[in-house]
Amino acid sequence: MNSNIWLLTFADAISIATTLILASLGAIITERSGVINLGVEGMLLMGAVTGFIVADGTGNLWLALFAAVVVGVVLSAIHAALTVGLRANQIVSGLAMVIFGTGLSQFIGKPIEGDPLPVIIRPLELGWLSDLPFVGPVVFGHDVFTYLTWVAAGGASFYMHRTRPGLLLRATGDAPATVDAQGGSVAHIRWVHTMVGGALMTLAGAWYMFARAAAWNQAATTNGIGWIALALVVFASWRPLRAIGGAVLFGFSLQVPFTLQAQQISVLPPTIVAMFPYLITLAVLVLLSTPRARRLLGAPKMLGQPFVRDER
Amino acid sequence: MILLGRRVQVEQRMAVPKSAVVIVPVVSVVFALVVGGVFLALTGHPPIRTYLDLLDNGYTSFYGITDTLGLATPLICTGLAAAFAFRMNLYSIGQEGQMYLGMIGGTWVGIVLADSLPPLIAVPSVLVFGAIAGAAWIAVPAFLRARLGTSEIVSTLLLNYVALNLVNYFIFGSTGFFRDPTTSFPQGRAVAESARLSPMAFFTDKVTNAYPTLFVAILLAVFLFWFMRVSNYGYETAVYADSPNTARYAGMNSAWLQSSVLLVSGALAGVGGAMYVVGPAGKVDPGLLQVGLGYAGIVVAALARYNFLAVVLAAVLFAGLRTGGNALQVSNDPVPIAIAVVLQGAVLLFALGGELFRRNKVTLVRVQRATT
Repeated sequence: MNSNIWLLTFADAISIATTLILASLGAIITERSGVINLGVEGMLLMGAVTGFIVADGTGNLWLALFAAVVVGVVLSAIHAALTVGLRANQIVSGLAMVIFGTGLSQFIGKPIEGDPLPVIIRPLELGWLSDLPFVGPVVFGHDVFTYLTWVAAGGASFYMHRTRPGLLLRATGDAPATVDAQGGSVAHIRWVHTMVGGALMTLAGAWYMFARAAAWNQAATTNGIGWIALALVVFASWRPLRAIGGAVLFGFSLQVPFTLQAQQISVLPPTIVAMFPYLITLAVLVLLSTPRARRLLGAPKMLGQPFVRDER
Repeated sequence: MILLGRRVQVEQRMAVPKSAVVIVPVVSVVFALVVGGVFLALTGHPPIRTYLDLLDNGYTSFYGITDTLGLATPLICTGLAAAFAFRMNLYSIGQEGQMYLGMIGGTWVGIVLADSLPPLIAVPSVLVFGAIAGAAWIAVPAFLRARLGTSEIVSTLLLNYVALNLVNYFIFGSTGFFRDPTTSFPQGRAVAESARLSPMAFFTDKVTNAYPTLFVAILLAVFLFWFMRVSNYGYETAVYADSPNTARYAGMNSAWLQSSVLLVSGALAGVGGAMYVVGPAGKVDPGLLQVGLGYAGIVVAALARYNFLAVVLAAVLFAGLRTGGNALQVSNDPVPIAIAVVLQGAVLLFALGGELFRRNKVTLVRVQRATT
């Protein structure tokens, strides 16, 4: 029994990690272009509520996910218009997105509050694989999107580090003036990647709605997962593949407080355990700030800086 | 972009005209009301009547305006905290956590010391300890920023969650110092009566939710406005904000400037938390954590364009939207309170878009036919 609950905790951690990976993938792709979008939490909520409403009306999961993606593109396009187009402060615009997204999702979500889910994403049946001890529930007990997410992280990593557009993306985040001098369009690259990133964030919200949440419960539906995804970006030092490992670790520490409570283990109070992911991320952030690490794996150098050709 | 035979021409302005300082925020609010109105109409609520109700419940009725001023009090502090850091291009988003710490620090003094002190000393010492606790909470990010150049955005954000869990630990997770020992119900231990202020009555015999700490917040805003204008320190931070290199060549100490600005910002947010202790809460109160005044402070600061005096007005505007929204929710045609949040977000988005018009001259020019 005791080992069983820890097994479930671990399986749950990997499942929750799907949202974290998707959302932080979106943030990584956005930030690599030099744009920081702090609006993840608002985007997750908008994705979740859009997915719910569309699924409620049509009964079609794919249409719901598609609608969530469209909303993500539209919202992040507003962010791009403000920050890339009008050179507004990215931090403030991102926070405005959190507030706007949270408010709007609660407003349009009011009628469906507490309703049962119209569709549910269920784990795949993988035959004998799912019956394996330990590996079965932990690795083969998930839905198709969890696996697709892992593939997507691999794909994003390949794109960023092994293709020419990926090189341009990283260059735009590190040295936009160079990209500009080379004839690339900094604005174009930033627009596209901000919108792709936004789509991944709302998709993460929609998946969370159908796979993990019990009902639409206003802002408590995602309960701060968007902010954790932002911390995860730093933890993963802006690398998609590292986000998988980090997401599982974060997912685990999100689940452990419940397990400790259920088991009535009082080595550490759950509220203290809940601090761990943030403290660990802070430690990673400090390590990343040392001159040596900064050279090897630091943040995009021009993160948060608008690019203006005639000012350089 | 060509519209109806006219081309939109954008020219950079040399100086920002005085009128834009007023017009941009006003137009932002109007546009936000239009956007909110569309959503209201789509969901079957008459927009004009809803807005009139909002105005009444948030600003013009007696309890509306006093509730609004009460909520605006800590919001002014977090707004000042954000403005103080952001105008130096230091993007601390940790006001939320610093506010909780201010509440913890203020409560500690209120329990330990206040009993033996007269209110005239007890209340200020709660506020001062709130400020110290808020500054302490940003000390690590400030040090990292000044020494290692670590992004203060992420480090301050992370500490918000640590602070949130810390408060939950004190009240729900343990039965220690901050927990009320007289009951098994999880709530904070109350501070001494001498550390509390009574609500303002505004020359009536009614009990309001506004506290005299409002004047402390306004005085802080006026003081910062004056001090940053006349002092050497204000000048140095302004130079640094415009051009860090110039500041460095002029011999200014950038590590000191960065860390001191962040510490003061943390202290301001901490005062905001401590104001809850001398005012409505009187203890460490996790119920307060739902309010999100830290993040709202950043929005207020941005709307005020980091002008300390304008922060006061923006805070009252924002607080009114929230109290008005609360009242709408319980009226006989209930409108989700979220409409107030939608309006807040939309105001800010339009204000950001308004930057274009502040910084640039935008004119419509008749497209000339090409002549050969």
